Amino acid sequence: MSTVLAAPSLPLSRRLARPAKGALGLVLFLALWQASVPLVGLEAYFYPAPADVWRAFLDLVAKGILPVYLIDSIGRYASGVAIGTVLGIACGLAIGISRLADRTLSPTINFLFAIVEVAWIPIFVIWFGYGFKTILIALTYVVFFPMLYNTLVGVRTVPQVFVNAALSLGATRLQLLREVILPSVLPNIITGFRVGAGFAFRGLIFAEIVAAKSGIGYLIFEGAANHQTARTIVGMIVMGLLWLGIDNLYLKPIERMTIERWGSVTTAERRE
Amino acid sequence: MTRLARHLPGLLPFAAAIAFWLVLPQAIDYPTYMLPPLGQVLDRIGESVMDGSLALHVRDSLWRLALGFAIGNGIAIPLGVAIAMNRHVSDLLRPLLTFLQSIAGIAWVPLAIIWFGIGMGSVVFVIANTIFFASIHNTVTGVQSIPNTLHRAVRSHGGSGVQVLTELVLPGALVQIILGLRTSMAYGWRALVAGEMIAGTSGLGYMTIEAVQWYKTETILMGMIVIGLLWLALDRILFVPLENATIKRWGMIRA
Repeated sequence: MSTVLAAPSLPLSRRLARPAKGALGLVLFLALWQASVPLVGLEAYFYPAPADVWRAFLDLVAKGILPVYLIDSIGRYASGVAIGTVLGIACGLAIGISRLADRTLSPTINFLFAIVEVAWIPIFVIWFGYGFKTILIALTYVVFFPMLYNTLVGVRTVPQVFVNAALSLGATRLQLLREVILPSVLPNIITGFRVGAGFAFRGLIFAEIVAAKSGIGYLIFEGAANHQTARTIVGMIVMGLLWLGIDNLYLKPIERMTIERWGSVTTAERRE
Repeated sequence: MTRLARHLPGLLPFAAAIAFWLVLPQAIDYPTYMLPPLGQVLDRIGESVMDGSLALHVRDSLWRLALGFAIGNGIAIPLGVAIAMNRHVSDLLRPLLTFLQSIAGIAWVPLAIIWFGIGMGSVVFVIANTIFFASIHNTVTGVQSIPNTLHRAVRSHGGSGVQVLTELVLPGALVQIILGLRTSMAYGWRALVAGEMIAGTSGLGYMTIEAVQWYKTETILMGMIVIGLLWLALDRILFVPLENATIKRWGMIRA
């Protein structure tokens, strides 16, 4: 294990105390929230208590709504991210390798970049209607750009000496791509993936609010529209847990693997 | 190579797209609401500029963004510094903040509609909420990245608590805080457009989503173009000079 990964050498007591204090913070927050409900004295739809949220959660699970919505959301998210990632890396490499293509397409990419993802949803709805197709295309789009952008940055920053060295040793274009460019671009690809995965998650929730009839985003929206605010909050909490799950189970391990192998992950985020 | 020659290839795709857009209606038969002819979009832009409706939407959007930015950062930066300077408080709040950050933004819109109704209040709340969580994270990270030895050095030279704050913590965390301003603005901009689409009664996001109901695709395209250009302008006018003046000066440039 590299030293980058080792936890800073804190005394054991503090390393244990930190999560305990964090948990205490969460419990305190819930207790304050619950205690404030009778003091505020507003109607439950306006200011639901944690107990209401818990009941709504049990109800949603018992009726089988939450599991179905969760699976729908995860399915949409995974497919959109997978397609966007593959397309983004492929296009990034193809454009980055040719200086002419890079110079020709970069202004267009920068301009499309400036039109935030959410602004595409209306035209996608016009083109593809409400439903799965629109959400999938929107998510693909959201992931595609950070992937493309970061891959391009990565290809541009491959030191020319390496390229020259490989070529003068007789490497073919394919070998150049596989042996020199891909390994040095990988940290950028990981960065792009992280950024894209984050944006796509928000994009998913938004797209489900606007253009879906199921999913966590729809649950959040529908709950509020029917004055079942506790359901909205269940949706928000599930959304937060889902993101933390994706982040800790998939994104961070991937990042760690590359740090271990190549010793660095660039901090370049998409240029906002 | 002259400047023109260098930028010429970059203009080609735009020219090709416009040519394609001009030729397409003549070449194939398709419902115009899918992609109205370029002329119609330009007419729409002309009309909206002349009757002042576009300016009103832009004004409303920018005003909300400014308000949300001021409220979000106004709370996040002092609170972030306070949290980060006390280890017990930051240990206590960190998981809660991480969790709330992961749901910040657009997911609050439905709740905001219940609390503030459709319109200005909801949109500003969602922008401020988004900006708050993006910014507080950067502020806390910035303050905590200051090496402990520097704290001890200031203390052992007789620096008071206030002096630690003004001489060490604020300058030390400044670069990260400025990065946070820019990042939070990017998230806030997204929250603005998305928030206006769901809970707005005016603004660019509202203008664009409202047009979907009437199949006024030329208005949607106008909205997208304006949203893109406005963001490029905001970024260039506000943040590029700010970063040049601060981050580059102190030798910390992000790739």
